[in-house]
Amino acid sequence: MSGRASARDIAVWDPLVRLIHWTLAPTILLNSTILEEESTAHEWIGYTALGLVALRLVWALVGTKNARFSAFPPNPIRAIRYARAVISGDRTVHLSHNPLGSLMVYNIWLTVIALGVTGYMMTTIRYFGVDWVEAAHEIAFTWLMISVALHLAGVVFDTRRSGINLVRAMVNGRKSVPRGRPVE
Amino acid sequence: MKSALWPARKGERRATVLAGLILLQAMCALFFVGDVIEDFRVDGSGSDTHLILEAAVVLALLSGVAFLMVELRSLLARMSDMETGLSIARGQVVQVMQAFFEDWGLTNAEREVAVMILKGLDNDTIADVRNTASGTVRAQATSIYAKSATSGRAQFISLFVEELMVGEIGRDRSSDGGESIRIDPRLGEPKSQT
Repeated sequence: MSGRASARDIAVWDPLVRLIHWTLAPTILLNSTILEEESTAHEWIGYTALGLVALRLVWALVGTKNARFSAFPPNPIRAIRYARAVISGDRTVHLSHNPLGSLMVYNIWLTVIALGVTGYMMTTIRYFGVDWVEAAHEIAFTWLMISVALHLAGVVFDTRRSGINLVRAMVNGRKSVPRGRPVE
Repeated sequence: MKSALWPARKGERRATVLAGLILLQAMCALFFVGDVIEDFRVDGSGSDTHLILEAAVVLALLSGVAFLMVELRSLLARMSDMETGLSIARGQVVQVMQAFFEDWGLTNAEREVAVMILKGLDNDTIADVRNTASGTVRAQATSIYAKSATSGRAQFISLFVEELMVGEIGRDRSSDGGESIRIDPRLGEPKSQT
C-alpha cells in the first residue's frame, strides 16, 4: 500500500557484533597510523584488539543466529560459486556475511590474532629482537592493511550491487531487503 | 533512521546496554588475565594471596561475561520472536480484511474507502485523498455499513478488533480456523477465511 511496503527491514546484526566491529576498527586505525610502534599505548591497543577478536569468537559459538560460525562457514568453494553467481547476475541477499565476505572476516580475525601474538612475543625476553618475529609482525601488518582495503572495497561493491546499505546494517543492525528478493 | 545509533525501542536499548557491558567486562577480564601472566613472568611464582585474589577476579569477571552473553542472547531471541509474531499478525489482518470485503461483496472503490475508515480517516479526509466529493464518500460509507450489517463506523471497526482479540484469547496456537468462541458484534456468523 505505502512505499515502505516494497522493502522489509530485517534485523541481522545484534548489538554485540556491531559494538565489537566498531571498536575493532578504530583500534586497527589507531595502531596503524597515530600510535608510535614501540609505545605502551600501541601494546595496549593491540591487546584490546586481540581481546575483541577473542570475544567475537566466543560470541560466534554462543551468540545469535547470524553471528554464529554456522551462518558463515569458511568455505572457499562456496565463495567461488558465489563469485560466479554474482558475475552472472544472481541477486540473492545474504542475511549474514556473504560467502566471499565470510572469508574476509576469518582472514581479518586471523591476521589480528597473528599481529597480537607476534606483538606480544616482541615484548618477551625470549623473542625480543628476534628477526623472524619482527618480520612476521610486519608482514601481518601489511597484510592487514591490504585486507582492510579489500574489505572496504567489498562493502562498497556489494552495497552497489545488492542495493542494500551494508554500512547502515552494521550501524543499526538492519538490512532493508527489497520484496521478492531471494534471501539466504 | 533518525535514531540509528540510539535505538528508540526499549528492548533494543536494553540489548545495546547489555552488549556494551559485555564488551567492557570482557576487556576488564582480559586486563586481569594479562596481569596474571605478567606476574608469573616477572617473579616466577607470584605471591599466593595476590594470585588467588586475581584468579578470583578473573573468574568472577568471566562468569559475569558468560552470564550476560546468555542474557543478551535470550533477550534478542525474545525480541525476534515478537517481531516474527507481529509480521505474521500484520499479514493476517490484511487477509482477514480481504476475506470480509470479499464476503460482503464490496466494490473496489468501497474497499479502498473501507481501508481508510479502518485506518481512522474521517469522511472529509477520505474525500480529499480520493479526490471525490464528501457526499460520495458518505454514500460509500453507508453502503459499506449496510453490506457489513453494522450500524456505523465504530461498530464496523470493532468487527476487526474483535476478530484479532478472539484469535488471541479463544484460539490456541495450534491452528487457525479451528472452533473458538466468537462474539460477533452483529450476532451473525462471519464466514471462515482461508
